[in-house]
Amino acid sequence: MKAFEYATALSPSSARDLIADNGAYIAGGNDLLGRLKEYLDAPARLVNIKAIPGLDTIQYGDDCWTIGSLVTIATLEKDEKIRSALPGLHQAAAEIASPQIRNVATVGGNLAQHSRCWYYRQRDVQCLKKNGDLCYARNSDNRYHSLFSGNDCISPVVSSLGATFAALDATAVVLSGGQELRWSMAEFYADAWKMHLAHNSLKPGDLILRVEIPLSRPRSAYLQASDKHVFDWALVSCAAAADYVDGKLVSPRVALGSISPVPHQMDKANQFLEGKPLDSTTVAHAADLLLANARPLEHNAYKVPMAHALICRTLLKLKG
Amino acid sequence: MPAWPTNPRYISQSTPRVDGPEKVSGRARYSSDIQAPGLLYGMILRSPWPAAKIAEVDLRPALKIPGIKAAITVRDTPFTTRYYGEEIAAVAGVSKQACLDALRAISIKAEPASAFVVKEQDGLDADSPQVWQGAANASAPRTRENGNVDEAFGQCSAVIEGFYTTPVQIHNPMETHGNTVSWTDDGITAWSSTQGISSVRDGLAGSLKLDQSKVRVITDFMGGGFGAKFGAGVEGVLAARLSKEAGAPVRLMLTRFDQALAVGNRPSSFQKIKMGALADGTLHAFEMENYGTAGIGAGGDAGGGGGGANIPAPYLYKVDNARVTQRSVAVNAGSARAFRAPGNPPASFGMESAMDDLAVKLGMDPLDFRLKNDPSPIRRKELRLGADKIGWKQKYRPPGTCPGIVKTGLGCAGAAWPAGGGSPFTQGEAQINPDGSIELRLGVQDIGTGTKTVIAVVAAEILGLTPEQITVRVGDTHYPAGPGSGGSTTCASVSPTVNDVCNQALDQLQKLSGMADARGQNWFEACKKLGISPLTVHGRWQKGLSSSHACGVQFAEVAVDTETGLVTVQKVVAVHDCGLIIDQLTLASQINGGVIMGMGYALYEERVMDDLSGVMLNPNFETYKLPGIADVPEIEVVLVNMPERGVIGIGEPSTVPTAGAIANAVANAIGVRVSSLPITPAKVLAALGKVPPFIKS
Ligand SMILES: Cc1cc2nc3c(=O)[nH]c(=O)nc-3n(C[C@H](O)[C@H](O)[C@H](O)COP(=O)(O)OP(=O)(O)OC[C@H]3O[C@@H](n4cnc5c(N)ncnc54)[C@H](O)[C@@H]3O)c2cc1C
Ligand code: SF4
Repeated sequence: MKAFEYATALSPSSARDLIADNGAYIAGGNDLLGRLKEYLDAPARLVNIKAIPGLDTIQYGDDCWTIGSLVTIATLEKDEKIRSALPGLHQAAAEIASPQIRNVATVGGNLAQHSRCWYYRQRDVQCLKKNGDLCYARNSDNRYHSLFSGNDCISPVVSSLGATFAALDATAVVLSGGQELRWSMAEFYADAWKMHLAHNSLKPGDLILRVEIPLSRPRSAYLQASDKHVFDWALVSCAAAADYVDGKLVSPRVALGSISPVPHQMDKANQFLEGKPLDSTTVAHAADLLLANARPLEHNAYKVPMAHALICRTLLKLKG
Repeated sequence: MPAWPTNPRYISQSTPRVDGPEKVSGRARYSSDIQAPGLLYGMILRSPWPAAKIAEVDLRPALKIPGIKAAITVRDTPFTTRYYGEEIAAVAGVSKQACLDALRAISIKAEPASAFVVKEQDGLDADSPQVWQGAANASAPRTRENGNVDEAFGQCSAVIEGFYTTPVQIHNPMETHGNTVSWTDDGITAWSSTQGISSVRDGLAGSLKLDQSKVRVITDFMGGGFGAKFGAGVEGVLAARLSKEAGAPVRLMLTRFDQALAVGNRPSSFQKIKMGALADGTLHAFEMENYGTAGIGAGGDAGGGGGGANIPAPYLYKVDNARVTQRSVAVNAGSARAFRAPGNPPASFGMESAMDDLAVKLGMDPLDFRLKNDPSPIRRKELRLGADKIGWKQKYRPPGTCPGIVKTGLGCAGAAWPAGGGSPFTQGEAQINPDGSIELRLGVQDIGTGTKTVIAVVAAEILGLTPEQITVRVGDTHYPAGPGSGGSTTCASVSPTVNDVCNQALDQLQKLSGMADARGQNWFEACKKLGISPLTVHGRWQKGLSSSHACGVQFAEVAVDTETGLVTVQKVVAVHDCGLIIDQLTLASQINGGVIMGMGYALYEERVMDDLSGVMLNPNFETYKLPGIADVPEIEVVLVNMPERGVIGIGEPSTVPTAGAIANAVANAIGVRVSSLPITPAKVLAALGKVPPFIKS
């Protein structure tokens, strides 16, 4: 990595000031330090945001829980209230990386992490996302890539929390230009759908403050499929959340990770599921709807049946 | 003829590693822990191109970076690099950061090749860009035949054809390759992470034009080596040159990135096998065409030695009519080096897969089919033992007949390892002190396999002492010379040597002390009689206490999720023989490690080269996947002690059959074969016919 300055911010506004034109926020550092070591980024200054008061707590409101952006993934995993009220979030947190990484990785950093595409992370390849002129993955080894994309880059969103928050209909609160913006997960990643250079919709200096989760979906679940049993990225991840009243789904949401630059959601599927019972035909039809327009590439078509199975299983888990 | 003691107290029992406490407490000092005064860090600049002509390398900007004390090129310009990651230059400096900055400051005038080839299939093409100018990438096919294959297939009542492929596997020991080197007017001292202190000494002396007597190599502790750590290596020579240039000791340990690219690997194999059996199940006809890559090392040697891509076939079995054609394909990628049982894991995977496929076609139980065709009585015994342990009779079902979405299956495979015997050149010495303390010194190295423990166990046995009473010193070229730790030979080299040293020492001690038996409780009294001068006794390897050719079979039980494609290995039963067992604990530890490594080969590991950019896409542990503890199954080690055969090594055979056994268990579970390693969820789903065809838009 290149040499850099280091500063600690004590408030959100000082963080914004300190980051100036060419700085980067550092929270747990799992993603950022890897990028620095591979010379993918070379910020002049790292601004440590871990000392900003108040961002590392969970607030349990009556109908909405607020998760500070500095809450660690280990905290999400271990929090007993989350485990019972938001089991999908607990499961997603428990599957992320390894205990050591979860101990320091933060919610904000997880959402804002950059592409894991192996061309992007390769120090000697200059692909489209690094201002090069070619998407290597599209033309070569795309086994880990997206089934959907709105632009030439097919690097998928890998944040397991992103998909889970999407299913829970959570809102990210982002401090941007002195204002608090409230983004759905779809909005949080919208730029990555549209633009090959973007990893998410954050602009330089934007600071994630917290994530707000409505408690209207008491049932939630998360599953992922990987090459290995633990400590491996998801090939496909799936989160689902709903209420289940008298054997019928209320406000169901399904979102998938690792198959699109954004958490993959289909209104049609959610609408179809509304008021339906959880049985194998219903969930299979929802899976069909979610995957109807998938555009597999040469090496990633296996993600279609894999995603199909995960959608069915995750939905059926909502039965409890 | 010397013989091993009958009714031993320590041999064949369970002695914990003598250096365990040092390792777990962090007191053990590895090559990268050496703190020499004025120590500098060393780093290597690698080619970012798959192939290039390097015209000029300007080191001056690197030398201007504060803290940089030396910068050198790997050889004089101009020169050619042939793979992504090949060494170009190196620097030494006071901090890692200074070195990193310096590497980026070096300016290179290069002409990257406009075309290159990184995939075996492409290298087969006669028009593919030549890795070595003027030489075809694919070596001429070499064919060996016995019997009359074409006629024999006509006599078979069942014939199968398959295409079994294995990837290039990367060396990833816990400790990367590297050295701390100090080159002064007195010569070189190198603390090396090596499997061969003597070969490193000779390598450094040879390349740097020094007398062998002026080079000392020390390896107190070593974090694993699996065939790629015998020589000084490019990195070792660079470290020494940097040390001379800077006038200070240099520590140059490779990073994981370096490690993935340039220190050797296991060649790939692409085995097209056709095999037939007579109605009674006798193997009758075999044909194989195989190619693989040893990277830029085109290889082409037979038997799967260090560099070539050839593999033994039809492996364990004798087939009266067999034709084997093999060739190596050069590609622009890091070259092969010996890798735990070179040639054997791919051979076992291909042949044992074909065996199961043919058994299915014949309608025979694959176990019975093996019992009928395996020529080794030892392995047949082991097959029966293992089958018992895994519950083959109760659990085995015809392929694909397990009900449900998650299907279980059983498989087995065998190993043969021709080496494992001792090196006749091994020497050692004992120094017995008047206070009764004793030191055994051998110029071998303990690469984590338990060599120090083996030495202590044998010495304790002969002298009637306990293993803790023996001070063992290895890993220094100042000690009497020993062989490199390869070919599973170390145990069979040191055990007879220590036996000789200790028996001679005992003889002399008894003479000098006038005591008829100086062992055990008489030991201290006898030693006291030495007066003030210690007794030093030299000995060497003796014939008749070791042999070679270990066998071994493994059984695997797996569960396959037919919707996600995930394979879970539930249990492996590993039945192994290695003659006379010296220490059960270190032996079982070798087998556990072998199984885990074999499992990585079966399910996760694969070097991924990109044909568009020519780079390796997974030079890290994120996408070069290795088994973690949660992936590892229950491993039941079944040891077959055969004292009558003397000592035989086990390191290599223990990893040979795992992939074949797992692959067969997967095929048994799902009823179709995944014939390509690693068996990933993607391949399982494809084999099950669940993956929609790719339509180019
Ligand atoms: C081996 C491995 C496996 C992994 N597996 C998974 C997995 O399965 N699923 C998964 O979801 N993740 C996985 N991860 C990713 C890991 O969860 C993230 O790297 C981690 O959560 C990032 O958090 P951090 O606090 O360390 O972020 P940092 O590295 O500190 O920051 C990441 C990025 O976010 C920015 N940032 C951080 N906080 C804020 C904020 N509050 N506002 C605005 N920008 C911010 C930083 O500037 C930086 O660009 C894995 C990581 C590794 C190394
Ligand atoms: S998918 Fe995106 S990040 Fe990957 S090579 Fe293509 S452009 Fe680059």
